[in-house]
Amino acid sequence: MYKAEVRGPLILGNKDYRQITSDIIAPIDNPTPGWWKVALAISLVMASFGIFALYYTVRYGLGTWAVNNSVAWGWEIINFVWWIGIGHAGTAFSIFLLILRQKWRTSINRAAEAMTVFAVGCAAIFPAIHMGRVWLAFYIFPYPNTRGPLWVNFNSPLFWDFIAISAYLLISASFWYFGMVPDFASIRDRAKTKAKKAIYGFLAFGWTGSTKEWLRYEGLSYVLGGIAAVLVVSVHSIVSTDFASSVIPGWHSTLFPPYFVVGAIFSGFGMVMTLMIVIRKYYHLEDYVTASHLNAIAKILVFISLIMGTAYATEVFIAWYSGNPYEMFTFFHNRITGDYSFMFWAMVICNAVIPQVMWSKKVRSNITALFIISLIINVGMWYERFNIVVTSLSKDYLPSSWATYSPTWVEIGIYIGTIGIFTAGVLFFFRFVPMIAISEVKSVLKPTEITEKH
Amino acid sequence: MNTTHIIGVFDSKMDLLAGIEKAKSNNFKIDEIYTPYPVMEAIDALERKSRFTLAAFFYGFAAVVGVLSFLYWTSVIDWPINYGGKPTNAFPSFIIITLVLTILTITILSLFTFSIRAKIYPGKKYILPDERATDDKFIVLFDKKTAGGGFEAISSALKAGGASEVYEKEL
Repeated sequence: MYKAEVRGPLILGNKDYRQITSDIIAPIDNPTPGWWKVALAISLVMASFGIFALYYTVRYGLGTWAVNNSVAWGWEIINFVWWIGIGHAGTAFSIFLLILRQKWRTSINRAAEAMTVFAVGCAAIFPAIHMGRVWLAFYIFPYPNTRGPLWVNFNSPLFWDFIAISAYLLISASFWYFGMVPDFASIRDRAKTKAKKAIYGFLAFGWTGSTKEWLRYEGLSYVLGGIAAVLVVSVHSIVSTDFASSVIPGWHSTLFPPYFVVGAIFSGFGMVMTLMIVIRKYYHLEDYVTASHLNAIAKILVFISLIMGTAYATEVFIAWYSGNPYEMFTFFHNRITGDYSFMFWAMVICNAVIPQVMWSKKVRSNITALFIISLIINVGMWYERFNIVVTSLSKDYLPSSWATYSPTWVEIGIYIGTIGIFTAGVLFFFRFVPMIAISEVKSVLKPTEITEKH
Repeated sequence: MNTTHIIGVFDSKMDLLAGIEKAKSNNFKIDEIYTPYPVMEAIDALERKSRFTLAAFFYGFAAVVGVLSFLYWTSVIDWPINYGGKPTNAFPSFIIITLVLTILTITILSLFTFSIRAKIYPGKKYILPDERATDDKFIVLFDKKTAGGGFEAISSALKAGGASEVYEKEL
């Protein structure tokens, strides 16, 4: 019977188990490359600038930002949603593909999870700093308040957000860490220096790979995977209800939860693609992150891009179809045309138009083209958040309070700082942690060999 | 106290499964199997069962009941607030926070359960019969006293199954 090969081999080059361990651990064993040091130095400079901007905000207050009475949410909320979105793909990769038993996830999930943890960490900075008096952030914890007594508002999406993001950070960090435990044991047992053995031995939590451990490990993976899948959908739905539960034109829409969730996965997959291309190029892991893997991500991206395009069109259509003058004004005079039309068209072109070139197999197999498209998607998704946050706020029901918004150096500084923190985190991950899940890749070695033989 | 163990080393999963089959057909009692990645057939061969998912379900159930009761207490009994005439027991708006807190509870308790049941925690003193088990070898471990056969008998059975080496070690 004819059988089409949907995907090429998952691992190239006739590897054996030992070779897999050696290849993936090589970046940890080898001396630190020069480009890594340069990249880390740049990241730390960016992070320091961000930390200074944060200090400046705390020292002098929110007056140092360009937010005003109308545009009360500026770059901080744009960047918050952007980072959370990027963070979603790690979980989407690991968990949806784990539950769907997609074996091609094994080479990519570790990097995607690392990306999630750093991105969600960066995202968490923004709502905290947006409170103005960040040292009173503990007010949002639900405890009986001796000043009141007054409980936090359990019906508020902002409070849901706080709990959802805390849970998300914890679950993605633990999913990531426990996934690494068997790999830390592999490094421990191959380590030649005492210090390395001690450090990775500590991190491995005494892992031996016995059936008792694997049985519970699999149980933990599926339990965390199953509940985190719900969390992925709920966290970004909650972020969207921060907007949708208001009566601001352009926000008050039932489209928002799916629109946000899909958008988040879109930007996250874009960032995964960027990272995987860097990893395979600079660490020579082309045998593990194959053209077939990138092809699979590209296919998902082109599909999600269509959904994004449909969502943009739906928003505009509903604004017209509803006959609501405020909605019509927002979409036709303050997005498609008007002060912020550049941001609107940048969003449409980057997210809905350019990714369509990936229908072509030639583009999907051109690594440079994929790298550029993945960056364009991330830029486009930033513009999407700008569109949502700023355009709706800048011109609402009362023309006397209309205002335009452009950020101050402090706001730009905080954003640059989070990019620095993210890249520094990713660089440390490249250097000290196996970038690919060794034990999981070993488990898919056999089907590959069988595919190759036939 | 150290005891003598017989250790069979296999190069692949298929050899391991054949070796396990041979050991079982000769009624040798396997103590433990160590593999570089999860091998479900090995777990089944030792008849290991886990109630992990059941535990997670109960954590979730307890969390749902606990969170909803807590929200009822804060919103209706302890400090009822009139939000624009909405009922104080605004059940539908409690659902999302219940969902998220339930997930948080399941996560934390599952991690503790895993740590306790699989005995995986920082600073643990571990016994790994052969360090290659975390790299490229599949290890089958027999306790010499309870294995039900001597070194020669076990060794020849495992080698017939495809073991690349069999040796004795004090653990």
